[in-house]
Amino acid sequence: MFDPYYLQQLAIGLSLGMTYALMAIGFTLIFGVLNVVNFAHGEIYTLGAFAGLVLISATAPPIVAVILGALAIGALAGFSLERIAFKPFRRFTDEASLKSRAMRESTLLSSLAVSIVVREALEIVFGSQMRSVPFDYLINTPVRVGPVILVTGDFIIFGVAAAMLIGLQYLLTRTRVGLAIRAVSNNPLGAKYVGIDTDRTIITTFVVGSMMGAAAGILMGLYYGAVFPAMGFTPGIKAFVAMVMGGLSSIPGAVICALILGISESMATTFVSSGWSDMVAYGFLILTLIFFPNGLFGARRERV
Amino acid sequence: MNASESVVPTDGLTRRRGLLVPALILLLVFAALPALLAGFDKGYFYQIANLALIFVLLSASMHLVTGVAGLLHLGHAAFYGVGAYTAALLTSKLGLGFTVTLPLSGLMAALVAFLVALPTMRLVSIYFAVATLAIGQMLYLVMLNWVDFTKGPNGIIVSKGFELFGFSLSGRLAAYYTVAAVVTLSVVAIGRLSHSYYGNALRSIREDDQCADAMGVSTVRLKMEAFTLSAFFAGVAGSLWAHMTGYISPGDFKFSESILILAMVVVGGLGSLPGAIIGALLLILLPEGLRALGDFRNIMVGLVMFLSILLLPKGLLGEVSALRLVRRQLGAAWRNTGKGEGIGWR
Repeated sequence: MFDPYYLQQLAIGLSLGMTYALMAIGFTLIFGVLNVVNFAHGEIYTLGAFAGLVLISATAPPIVAVILGALAIGALAGFSLERIAFKPFRRFTDEASLKSRAMRESTLLSSLAVSIVVREALEIVFGSQMRSVPFDYLINTPVRVGPVILVTGDFIIFGVAAAMLIGLQYLLTRTRVGLAIRAVSNNPLGAKYVGIDTDRTIITTFVVGSMMGAAAGILMGLYYGAVFPAMGFTPGIKAFVAMVMGGLSSIPGAVICALILGISESMATTFVSSGWSDMVAYGFLILTLIFFPNGLFGARRERV
Repeated sequence: MNASESVVPTDGLTRRRGLLVPALILLLVFAALPALLAGFDKGYFYQIANLALIFVLLSASMHLVTGVAGLLHLGHAAFYGVGAYTAALLTSKLGLGFTVTLPLSGLMAALVAFLVALPTMRLVSIYFAVATLAIGQMLYLVMLNWVDFTKGPNGIIVSKGFELFGFSLSGRLAAYYTVAAVVTLSVVAIGRLSHSYYGNALRSIREDDQCADAMGVSTVRLKMEAFTLSAFFAGVAGSLWAHMTGYISPGDFKFSESILILAMVVVGGLGSLPGAIIGALLLILLPEGLRALGDFRNIMVGLVMFLSILLLPKGLLGEVSALRLVRRQLGAAWRNTGKGEGIGWR
């Protein structure tokens, strides 16, 4: 008979993968419209978690309100991030500088710089130690499903993530905003010519992507019960790996790869110590880059 | 060479001016600074001076790969770590001294970089940056988790200080001179590399690799060489660090250190060696000078980096002005004959 232990690891991996997926979508959306990597995305995750923690310790609201509060902070953070770290580098809009390597790398470095500032600021305000989430809010009440013991967090994460994914799909395919986002990511100059306000679309993309990142942050904060300023780094890298594996601009690809990553990581912890399990993601990344340079699900794209 | 001298007369004036700036820098590093340090005679100041010099070397080696060859490298600190761990393990397990560990650390880091470069060097732009990030993290995880070999998070105590063929150099001033000598020699070597035909070939890859490829420049090979060379110098810096502090742990070689080194190169100016050196000095000495600010000094690193990207996109000393400076002030042997002999040090 199949060992229920593996089923349990599978469930944990799915929850982990779902949060990676939420973050990877943020990366993918932003990469789609701007063709740049947002290195401050991990800090959005941290900000989401801290927003939830502050809300809990201040007013002790119901859990739905905590998640909504984290979403609001995520939206705000995404907006300001775009204004501070990305807007100043879009002064030149001609095609040559849009394709220029220097322009792209300057935004990469500026987002890195902003992420350093945010992380250090959080460390000053909250201290670099782990802060534990109040016991009442932990989402790890055990639930027995057949032979497997799951926790409520698995269901909540799965539910919230699935709802957000469906919402995103609706936004992208059924609304004018989504149409604009898809148009800009397809061809920014063309979108501008047909009268789409690209600047506004880019902000919208950042807001949507950052809301997903912040949601991932608060969910993981409640799931593990620990919130600390450097918490965004590892999931940020994992989500980034998922995005690259999925082919940089494919949202379904990023989600599937994030799930694969989460599951293989939690499976790996059964064979090796948890310190080594991070190796799985990096190994996947290198293998993908070498053997599938376009990602597993990516369309062929010009590699410039 | 006779023909070239008739075109560009290297009269006494240029020759003297060509030696003035290097002489001043050498005087500062080997006479004025040690005199000041000995005057204050505080271990703390020696520590800072050595740290700044080591980061000058790290930043200069990063300059070679990121500034000159244009490969965004996000895992440089890991190669620095490979060098430091090589030195520490050779010392603690085999009892070897600094004379042996210094070259071996460099070679070990270069070897690892070469093996890493074999599969990844064909990647371009952001893909390459991601690959170096992943490799840097993998090396860091090995340092952190291979407890039997690297002692993991506990770190390794390096019992031996600096020495040269058995002759101890472990006094404060002697240690400073050792670090200064190794760093100066390495920086001169990097300078000769990046201001030469070779450096120009690397710059051509950065500007347009397809074009360079079409002109007959072997881009993949040059990229691999630049990557390996820069790892060699990072490994040398690692060995200096291990013997200087006497204790290393994986925390010294984290991702944030790679970013710090990258920030030095960016703040100084991508592609400019004097800029990389100034950037390193600024980002090491500024936080020390701002010690009064306490916790805010790490924020300063981020802010300095952000503001310099925003306000000084070319860096403190941009590539063009840096090249002009180097050619005029340091390059007494620099030739531009106009007779098809090309530009660069021979």
